[in-house]
Amino acid sequence: MSTATGLQFTEVRKSFGAVKALAGVSFDVREGEAHGLMGENGAGKSTLLKILAGILQPDSGSVDWRGERLQLGSPREALERGIGMVYQEMLCFENLTVTGNIFAGRELTRGGRLRHAEMRERTRVLLDELHLPISPDATAQSLSAAYRQLLQVARALAFECSILVLDEPTTALTDAETDHLFSVLEKLKARGVTLLYVSHRLPEVFRLCDRITVLRDGRFVETSERRSVTPDHIVRAMVGRELPPRAIVARSALPAGTPPALAVDGLGRRPCFLNVSLTVNPGEIVGLFGLVGSGRSELLETIFGLYRAEAGRVRVAGQPIDPGSPRAAARAGVALVPEERQRQGLLFNLTIRHNLVLPDRTIKGDLLVRTGAERREAQDLVNTWRIKAAGVEVPPDALSGGNQQKVVVAKWLATSPKILLLDEPTKGVDVGAKFEIHEIIRREASRGCGCLVASSDLPEVLALADRIIVMREGRIQGQLAGAEATEEAVMHLATHEGTAA
Amino acid sequence: MNLKKIWEVREFSTVVILALEILFFTWYLWPDGSRSHPFFNAPNFVLIFKYSAIYGIAAVGAAIVIISGGIDLAPGAVMALSGVVASQLFVERGWGLGTSMTTGVLVGLVSGLVTSVLVVVVKLPPFIATLGVMGITRGLAFIITEGRYFDVSSQLLGGWRPFGLPADWVAPIIMILLALVFQFLMTTFQWGRAVFSVGGNETAALFSGIAVNRIKTSVYVISGVLAAVSGVVLVLVQGQGKADLATGYELDIIASAVVGGASLAGGRGSVIGAVLGTLIFGVLRNALPQIPGATFYDRLIVGLVVIVIVVVDQLLLKKRG
Repeated sequence: MSTATGLQFTEVRKSFGAVKALAGVSFDVREGEAHGLMGENGAGKSTLLKILAGILQPDSGSVDWRGERLQLGSPREALERGIGMVYQEMLCFENLTVTGNIFAGRELTRGGRLRHAEMRERTRVLLDELHLPISPDATAQSLSAAYRQLLQVARALAFECSILVLDEPTTALTDAETDHLFSVLEKLKARGVTLLYVSHRLPEVFRLCDRITVLRDGRFVETSERRSVTPDHIVRAMVGRELPPRAIVARSALPAGTPPALAVDGLGRRPCFLNVSLTVNPGEIVGLFGLVGSGRSELLETIFGLYRAEAGRVRVAGQPIDPGSPRAAARAGVALVPEERQRQGLLFNLTIRHNLVLPDRTIKGDLLVRTGAERREAQDLVNTWRIKAAGVEVPPDALSGGNQQKVVVAKWLATSPKILLLDEPTKGVDVGAKFEIHEIIRREASRGCGCLVASSDLPEVLALADRIIVMREGRIQGQLAGAEATEEAVMHLATHEGTAA
Repeated sequence: MNLKKIWEVREFSTVVILALEILFFTWYLWPDGSRSHPFFNAPNFVLIFKYSAIYGIAAVGAAIVIISGGIDLAPGAVMALSGVVASQLFVERGWGLGTSMTTGVLVGLVSGLVTSVLVVVVKLPPFIATLGVMGITRGLAFIITEGRYFDVSSQLLGGWRPFGLPADWVAPIIMILLALVFQFLMTTFQWGRAVFSVGGNETAALFSGIAVNRIKTSVYVISGVLAAVSGVVLVLVQGQGKADLATGYELDIIASAVVGGASLAGGRGSVIGAVLGTLIFGVLRNALPQIPGATFYDRLIVGLVVIVIVVVDQLLLKKRG
């Protein structure tokens, strides 16, 4: 293979203030291969992708494509050079139609007028090709999260691209949808499109990619042929250390008559979920498994009082809580770590300190902001939960995804909740941070907090939960505990009619 | 506080602009020979403060609304209505000065409550809700006056000295006190942080247990009350109450808040900055008419100043960030 083909990163450096996001990264991607890019959060993957997408410019170093220097001043230039991007955070225009989204910014025009019919037709062909059963005229708002993600793939493919970059494209997808996406990607690969695939999900990377590059702390670690490495090897390369074995927490039996940390009785809110009853005991970790659209997020949000239920009630440690008020729920000891940390979890106009103490102070109803005490408390939280930050008085946008998530978890743990609700707590988070978040959940449980973890990541639920509740189409399909909680049994409940013990 | 910290204080650049502006006019209007300076003298500064206070008091409320992620278009009209109500009660009904003025301020409270119901309960976008309230309050002012005006100045005893202070000092003192009180509330109280949170990310604020609706209600009520205080002060300063008072002031007030560092996207800004913003415009309005031929340019210059200051501020923010 000649050196003038493929994508070549040479000594790429990029710093943000004192933080070196990329400290001289060099590697190459062969033309036509599927190349996996892996690393913990903060390893520099996102920065590298942003440089490739023309959003950021490197401080030094170069990126070459087919032997030609890429100097990308804007995302538009990247597109013109044939680089398509599919981002982790879903970017879509909710008010526009599917067609409008696909052609946004690159509309087909004649004499300044939009060629609606042609764009619509091309969208239809594209959707057919991807086997997406959605109408070109549907608004993006009306699509599920999964379809919005696939819409992004379609958007990237709408114009001939020779490099397709995918950043965690499957975080919101079910297994079936992931299969679907992968069959599309295989087809593209066969067509000669170069794929750069970023994911924390090892099985996906091993399934799709020919070679895998690992970054750590802004540095290149290694590039290896998929055939010659094991997943364990990649994990070690990413983390730079052996993961400690899972801590087994001895749990003492609860005294008789202890009320459950959370008791939900006949809760219903059409059309999201109906007649849901469940209990979580103090110190117990309960997994709530369901595919996208099963109503698990809505259930957690209703328990937290963001919505008012039509029927049923919620008790925390035996006490009924006022419905429809997050404030009342939080005061009663409910904490919710929401699914979308950027939209629902963090305030980017305030510093990490404010973010960390806000729920606790809001619940306490303090009148004054005591900066000194807050700063100490925030620093304690940062140390306890090992949040990598330049300090507590910087906004959270400088943090990596995993550390942002730890801020969202930590701000609720500061309130010493009785029941901790977590919605996809490790979505888009690297292996190391995922492990740490799991440890945090276990520590809270051993403290006597009840934990209800909603996730569509089955291995996570199996590894973490003492008991698994499966939801499908807004109903509880069954519960599984101990040895009966196998991958097959859970998936069966999540996808088929029927009940289990 | 070291130098770096001062540089980082948001109000710093506004103070610098104000100082440069004063220096410029002092130099430009430097008198010939031994005549006294027409701009740089104490009585003129009191005058600048007095007229700026009419905007400045309402700008405190406007800044808070903007920081919360909202917008209030009603201050000008609320000023007119509260001024008209206070002056009518004082002049025609023979109410005491204090009672009339207090009733005028209550008008602002009611208008603020109406706005918050429209925003929080009816869920109208703040722009539309306050546009409606602006029309209603301005309309009520016209209905009450029926084209008349209420002459407050002739009813005030000559040499009126509230609390033993010169009458001209009243408005500036009210403005400074309110600015300090609300700056304190915004920076050291949970309530203030909640306002910043709601403006920064309403969803995340709600998910953090903040009573978002209560916070929104509070900001519109404060804005209404402060606009009404401005209206009452305006009547005292101008000496008469009429329905077309303060026409178009809402935009000057919003401009002051923005020049003082408030972001219309919400989550950023300062009360003191907004007051400094009104002083920047107050100095312009005072000094430009003293430059021969500049009278016709003052709106144009005010418009340019808004754009230049906000652009410079964005550049500085980028450099710092």
